[in-house]
Amino acid sequence: MHAATSAEEDLADVDRVLAGDVRAFEGIVRRWQGPLVNMAWRYCRDRGRAEEMAQEAFFRAWRGLAAWRRESSFSTWLFALAANVFRTELQRFPAVNVPLEDVAEPAGPATQHDGLQEKQSHDAVRRAVLALPQRYREPVVLYYFHEMDVAAASRTMGLPEGTVKARLARGRELLRKRFPHLNQQNTPLLSSTLGPKKEVLQ
Amino acid sequence: MKPNVKPEADDAAIDRILAAEEELIPSSGFLAATMERVREEAACPKPIPFPWLRALPGIVLGVFVLGWGGFETVRAGLSSARETSFAQPHLTAVNVHALEPVGWVAVALVVPMISWIFSRRIAGRSGLL
Repeated sequence: MHAATSAEEDLADVDRVLAGDVRAFEGIVRRWQGPLVNMAWRYCRDRGRAEEMAQEAFFRAWRGLAAWRRESSFSTWLFALAANVFRTELQRFPAVNVPLEDVAEPAGPATQHDGLQEKQSHDAVRRAVLALPQRYREPVVLYYFHEMDVAAASRTMGLPEGTVKARLARGRELLRKRFPHLNQQNTPLLSSTLGPKKEVLQ
Repeated sequence: MKPNVKPEADDAAIDRILAAEEELIPSSGFLAATMERVREEAACPKPIPFPWLRALPGIVLGVFVLGWGGFETVRAGLSSARETSFAQPHLTAVNVHALEPVGWVAVALVVPMISWIFSRRIAGRSGLL
């Protein structure tokens, strides 16, 4: 329901912008600023840079609005364009990250009440995603950004689902190898937390 | 030591960590800054397209002159090569006379080239290119 309303609003705003009403673009930015900034954040893990990259993506969207052929939804087009912008920006000025081998693994299993250690452990895993090779990093970033939806991630990347699944599996395998004690550390929490929807990848 | 767990269990842990990321809220000025940039761009006059129609005669003329120059160079070179024998390594007066137009053609090609490079350099320094 909400998605349908948003799609209608997007369509109306796009039509107004193309008719020359620049102010109508504000509605688009207002609706999509959260998702785009969060997507950029997952690409670089730098708040300031994430906002710069998201702004660049909106700017390119505004300039290329006439190129949206309306075959896919506006959000699909916008995410694909944003992913392209983020990829290019990070190729020009790579995010400061360390090699996967150098990402510190937490010292030992966390207890159920050791919130700080758990947070550090989670941060280490998230930083490790940025240290993955480019071809595996982006599928991992987009898969979790799209709430574990392979189809959405593949549409954003413009790649077949099978390719995205294969790269995602390889990316997770690298993370598993880097953090062999991950499951052990999170066992008490795993049993008490409801995770998001799961999808079989292999 | 690694406990005897299946990869699926590790994947579940990775899924839980990476899917449960805290949501970042854009800064209060983000919308305004983005719209300001868009308005600035909208206010800018559209770039003047390159006048291809006006430039076309010049381009055609340039291509013709270059082609003709190249043709003349090759022709002169071939004719002088034919007249020169291996047994006679020194240039005779006839050979020198035949090579004279080649020099002029070369000058005619090099001078515009230098002029073009020089003008590009000046335009580049001034930020026009």
